[in-house]
Amino acid sequence: MKFGKRLKQQIQESLPGWRDKFLSYKDLKQLLNLISSAPPVLSGSVEYVRAESEFVVLLNKEIDKLNSFFMEKEEDFIIRHKELQQRIQRMIAKSGSEASGIDYKAEMRKIRKDIVDFHGEMVLLINYSNVNYTGLAKILKKYDKRTGGLLRLPFIQKVLQQPFFTTDLISKLIKECEITIDSLFPAPAEKKARGEIEAITVAGEGIFRNTVAALLTMQEIRRGSSTYSHFSLPPLNLPDTDVIKSVQLSSPIPIP
Amino acid sequence: MEARPALSIQRSGTQQLNNCGASGALSTSFPVLPSALEEKYPNLPDSQQVPVERQFRPCTSTVVSPISSSSGVVGHMFSSSSGLSTDLHFSSVSQQEKHSRQSLFISQSTSCGTSMLFQQASHSGVLHSTASSQYTKENNDTSWCTDSLDFLDYPINQNNPLDSCNTGEILPSEDLNKRNWEWADQLISDDDALTSSWNELIAETNVTDPGLKVPQQSTTFSIQQPQASQQLPASSGETCPVVPPTPSGSGAPTKQRMRWTPELHEAFVEAVNKLGGSERATPKGVLKLMKVEGLTIYHVKSHLQKYRTARYKPEPSEGSSEKKHALIDDLSSLDLKSGIEITEALRLQMEVQKRLHEQLEIQRNLQLRIEEQGRYLQMMFEKQCKSGLDLLKGSSSNLENPLTDLTEPVLKSPDKSNLGVSEGNDHKMDEVGEKQKSPENEVPENLEATATDTPNSPPPKRAKLDE
Repeated sequence: MKFGKRLKQQIQESLPGWRDKFLSYKDLKQLLNLISSAPPVLSGSVEYVRAESEFVVLLNKEIDKLNSFFMEKEEDFIIRHKELQQRIQRMIAKSGSEASGIDYKAEMRKIRKDIVDFHGEMVLLINYSNVNYTGLAKILKKYDKRTGGLLRLPFIQKVLQQPFFTTDLISKLIKECEITIDSLFPAPAEKKARGEIEAITVAGEGIFRNTVAALLTMQEIRRGSSTYSHFSLPPLNLPDTDVIKSVQLSSPIPIP
Repeated sequence: MEARPALSIQRSGTQQLNNCGASGALSTSFPVLPSALEEKYPNLPDSQQVPVERQFRPCTSTVVSPISSSSGVVGHMFSSSSGLSTDLHFSSVSQQEKHSRQSLFISQSTSCGTSMLFQQASHSGVLHSTASSQYTKENNDTSWCTDSLDFLDYPINQNNPLDSCNTGEILPSEDLNKRNWEWADQLISDDDALTSSWNELIAETNVTDPGLKVPQQSTTFSIQQPQASQQLPASSGETCPVVPPTPSGSGAPTKQRMRWTPELHEAFVEAVNKLGGSERATPKGVLKLMKVEGLTIYHVKSHLQKYRTARYKPEPSEGSSEKKHALIDDLSSLDLKSGIEITEALRLQMEVQKRLHEQLEIQRNLQLRIEEQGRYLQMMFEKQCKSGLDLLKGSSSNLENPLTDLTEPVLKSPDKSNLGVSEGNDHKMDEVGEKQKSPENEVPENLEATATDTPNSPPPKRAKLDE
C-alpha cells in the first residue's frame, strides 16, 4: 500500500478544506480485496458481481466528487483571478498619482503576496488533479490485475476526459500569474544565487508547506516501483533539488 | 480509418461552403466518406455502452454520397445548398469543429473523439472563415477524426453508471455529428422536420456565443443535451456553460454542476455591473442579461454568492495567511528589513510553486503518452490477432486490411478491432471472438456485437479501407 500511504501523507499535508476531497483510494482498495476474495466464478457468483458493480459505482461516485470539487475551485479561481487583475489595474492607475507612499508599498506587497498565494493554490489544485488521477490509474491497474478484467483501458479513457483532469484553464491562469508577477516584480539578478540557502524549516499549514510537500511526495511516488511496466512513470528527477532539499518540513502542527 | 480521411469529394455543396469562406482546407477536413457513414450508422449500437475507444470521424458537413442509414440521417450530397442556411449550418458546424481540435482533447482523448466535437459555436451564425482554419488545424491530429459515427444513432439518455460519463460526452458529439449530417441532408432534401430541429440547434449554438472570444482551448458544450451525462473537458474561453449532469442521473437542475470559464465570468461581471454592482444585482436579472443558453438561475445564484464573498474577503484573508506563513520570523523588525524578508520568502515560494507546476505538467504529459502508448500497443496486438486469424483463413484480401490499418498509427485499438472485426464475415468475427482471450472480449464485445448487427457493413467498410 505504498501509494496509499503516500496519498494519505499528501492528504494530511494538503490545505484543510481539501482533505476529504481526495480519492478514497483505501475504500476502493478494500472493495477490490472483497472482489478478489469473492468466489472467482464470474458467471455464477452473486457476490462477485455485486462487489464488482459496487466497485464501479464507487469509482463513478469518486469521479463525481473529484469533478465537483475541482470545478468549484476552478470557479473560485476564475473569480479571484479577475479580482486580482482589477486590483492590479487600480494600483497601476494609482501609481501614476501617488508615487511611493507607504500605503502604496504596503498595498503592492499585499497584492504580491496574494498573487503568489493564488498561484500556489492553483498549482496545488493541479497537484490534486494529478494525485487523484494517479490513484485512479493505480487502482484500475490493480483491478485488472486481480480480476483479469479489462476495466482499466476504457475507464482511464473516460477519466482523461473528466473536468478534474482537464486542467488547461488552470494551467493558463497559472502561467498568466507568473507573467504578471514577473512583470510587476522583476527579479533582480543577484538574488538568483541559490547556493547559500540556509535550511529553512517550513511550518504551519500554509500553501508553501503544501507545495513543498507535494513536490516531495511526487518524488517519492515516482521513486521506482516494484511493478514497473510500460504504464509506469519514470523516476522523478528534480533539477536543482537543492532548492527543495533546503526546505524541510517540520512535523505538522495541529490546528489550533 | 484514418485520422485524416482522405478528402475525396468535392461537391457543389462543398463549393458553397468554400464560398462561404471556408477555405479549401476546410473541405479537406471534411473528408466524408459516406460509405463510412453508412457503415457507421448501421453500426450504432443500441446499448448504452459506448466504448470509449470509439473514434470519431471528422464531422463532415459535406455528405458525399448517398448513405443509406437506418438512422435516417443524411445521405445526400450537398448538391445544392441554400447559401445562407449553408453558411449558418456550416459556421455552427465549424465552430463546433473548432473545439475538437484542441490539442488538449487530442492528447487527452485520443480515442474518444467526442471532445473534439464539442466545440461550441464561438460566434453567432455568420460563417467564419476561421472555421476553415480550424479544420486545417484540426486535421493534424487524429483525435477528432471519428472513425465511427456509431454515436449518431445513440439513444440520448444514458444513465449507465459505467459509461454515463462517457456517453454523456459522446452524446453531444453525436448530436453534432448528426447535426452536421442532417444539415447537409436538409440542404438537399429540404426536410421540414429536420429543418426546424436543426434550426433550433443552430439557434441554440449561436446564441451561446454572446460574442465572446473563444480561445482555442477547451470546449464548453452548450447545454443542448441536458441529458448528456458528461461535461466536456476543459473549459477555457467558452461562453457556453457546460453542465455536466451527474451520472447518477439526478434530474434536478440544481445538481448540475457548471463549468465556468473566464469569458463566461466576464459576461457575468458585465451583467452585474449593469445592474448596479454585486450587492444590488439579483440572480434573475443577471441571468436575463447574460442570455447564455443553458445557464440556470441556480448557477448564477451560487456564482453571485462566490463573487460577493470574493470581493469582501481580500482583507481578512491576507491577515490569516500571513499568520500561517511561518517563513517570516521577524515581523516586528524594521519595515525595510521585513519587507526584504517577505520579498525573499515570496520569491522562494514562487520558485517552489513554479517547480511543482513544471513537474506536474511533465508528469501529466507523460501519463497521457503512456495511455496512448498503451492503447496503441493494444491495438497492435489485436491487429496481430486479426491478421493471424486471417492468415489461417487463407484469405489474402483480408491481409491487406490489417496492414492498411497498421499504417495509420493513430487509431484507437477498440475502433481498430471494430473495423478489423467487421471486415470479416459474421462467422469470422465469431472466430475472432473465440480466439481472443476471454477478458479481452469485455472490451470489444460491444464492437463485435455491433459489427455483427450489420452484416451489410463490411463491404462498404472494406472499400473504404482499401482506399
